[in-house]
Amino acid sequence: MGADILVVAEHLEGKLAPATLEIVAKGRELAAQAGGSAKAVLLGHGPEALASELASYGLDVLLGDDPALEAYSGGGYAQALASMLAASPPRVLLLAHTAQGYDLAPALAASGDLPLVTNCVDVRLEGGSLVATRRLLNEKVQAEFEIGSDRTYVVTLRPGSVKPATPTGAGAVARVPMTIDGAKALPRFLRIERPEVSDIDIASADVVVSAGRGIQKKENLALVEELAKRLGGVVGASRPLTDMEWLPKTRQVGQSGKTVRPKLYVACGISGAMQHVAGMKDASLIVAINTDPSAPIFEVAHVGVVGNVLEVLPALLKELRG
Amino acid sequence: MPLNLVVCVKQIPNPDLQFQIAPGGLDIRRETLNYKVNGADEYALEAAVRLKEKHGGRVVAITAGPKRAETVLREALAKGADEAVRVAYDDPAAFDVGRVARLLAAAIRTIPHDLVLTGVQSDDLINSATGALLAGLLGLPHASVVTNVDVRDGGLEVTSELEGGLQRVASMPRPALLTIQFGANVPRYAPLPAIMKASRQPIKEVASSEVSLPYTFKVRRLIPPPSKGGAELIPGKADEQAKRLAQLFREKGFARG
Repeated sequence: MGADILVVAEHLEGKLAPATLEIVAKGRELAAQAGGSAKAVLLGHGPEALASELASYGLDVLLGDDPALEAYSGGGYAQALASMLAASPPRVLLLAHTAQGYDLAPALAASGDLPLVTNCVDVRLEGGSLVATRRLLNEKVQAEFEIGSDRTYVVTLRPGSVKPATPTGAGAVARVPMTIDGAKALPRFLRIERPEVSDIDIASADVVVSAGRGIQKKENLALVEELAKRLGGVVGASRPLTDMEWLPKTRQVGQSGKTVRPKLYVACGISGAMQHVAGMKDASLIVAINTDPSAPIFEVAHVGVVGNVLEVLPALLKELRG
Repeated sequence: MPLNLVVCVKQIPNPDLQFQIAPGGLDIRRETLNYKVNGADEYALEAAVRLKEKHGGRVVAITAGPKRAETVLREALAKGADEAVRVAYDDPAAFDVGRVARLLAAAIRTIPHDLVLTGVQSDDLINSATGALLAGLLGLPHASVVTNVDVRDGGLEVTSELEGGLQRVASMPRPALLTIQFGANVPRYAPLPAIMKASRQPIKEVASSEVSLPYTFKVRRLIPPPSKGGAELIPGKADEQAKRLAQLFREKGFARG
């Protein structure tokens, strides 16, 4: 068992995922605790440029280059990482808790019989143990779990939990020879699909007024639409509303939708689940209206109104109509 | 080509409620909790039932949990599952996802499966780990955050959701495991006669198998999340709150007047 921390880089279409720089920062912290160094692993086919870019953040990059790694597949990446772990097991294998990270980390941990903890907001090493801080029950409870093992800890870190690393001089890029069985690089990648753009782009609006389940009925969207109009903004939504098709998918704010950074964000009847907050937490002014005083949206909001959005909005519109 | 479908469902405390930490700080207070089926699992069940309706086959719904978790299995039976299995696991909190996944995997090994489906995450623990853990334990190829499944000769074509609204389309052989995303379909309501029938159907109970874990797991403590400062709350009744909000929007230049 080594003392190094191995960070798994994520990239799509020639770009590093933003969350990768966050796990680089956390990986450094963990390396200091373990008495080792943080290294990154980058998998792909011909990704030298990305590897150099990643190395500019001041850590050594292990490059796994194989035609079967051209596009991400859980099966391909798991083979590559398993061979790296077998050759030199790190103390912690750290991934971002993204659609790719939580696809890969649990499967790898299970097939390698390794301890796993996912979606951590913080993680640290204490002696031989790993202490993971996690959020439960719609952000309403914080838990600390202690995991003990002499095997590599597989950990995913929730995006947005730490500040991303900044460039600090070049690390070395080393190619790691590996053989990937292409037949087991499953699922077999076919294509990336993009949503058709035939709607306004909520990411470019100065004011976004978003509706959540608290509006209860589709007809009540009219209140949110009028408020958006009065404030010179556009209407956004939390995921449940676009899932019910009350609003098009293009209006969804959050991890699986759009990330917005408007001057004003008004959350109407939105509880503030992690996946939504990830898409709006950087707005300059966040106003939240929700009946539940323990709703996590009030943690991220600057101004909060504990109340029924169906009472507050009509009263607010009356005020604004003058 | 009939399909043997296994769908994992979980009973969770309704996450819209407020929670208190139990004395001792190792669990939440459970006396007055209101339990429900995990949201994403409803989409996984619906996906399974639709695949059965289209291609023929059987749907087995499985859960690991205490006796009270039978409620979610009866709901699954009422919505189209043919058989229900509960792995008896009495830990009410079940925080250790690795243990739960190994219990489920041991049971699923004894059930014929062309396709194992889970929800993308459970809304209580938010690990997004059970599905892919099961895939690793069972040695199945898998895809996560799936919004569409097409059965092809000998395999599947699946669409997975990525960040930022992108989708990835990929193909894979069967057997396989898929974690199903919220909104992948529109889950049906159970008709009353089906609910009545499900209430009389047997639920197969299997004992927890011995699992060997490569780690020790301990809950250190649960606490209310530390406040980051949070929002400045506007007090008063709706009309008073509205007045203050309107004033704020005017001061900041977002509204006229």
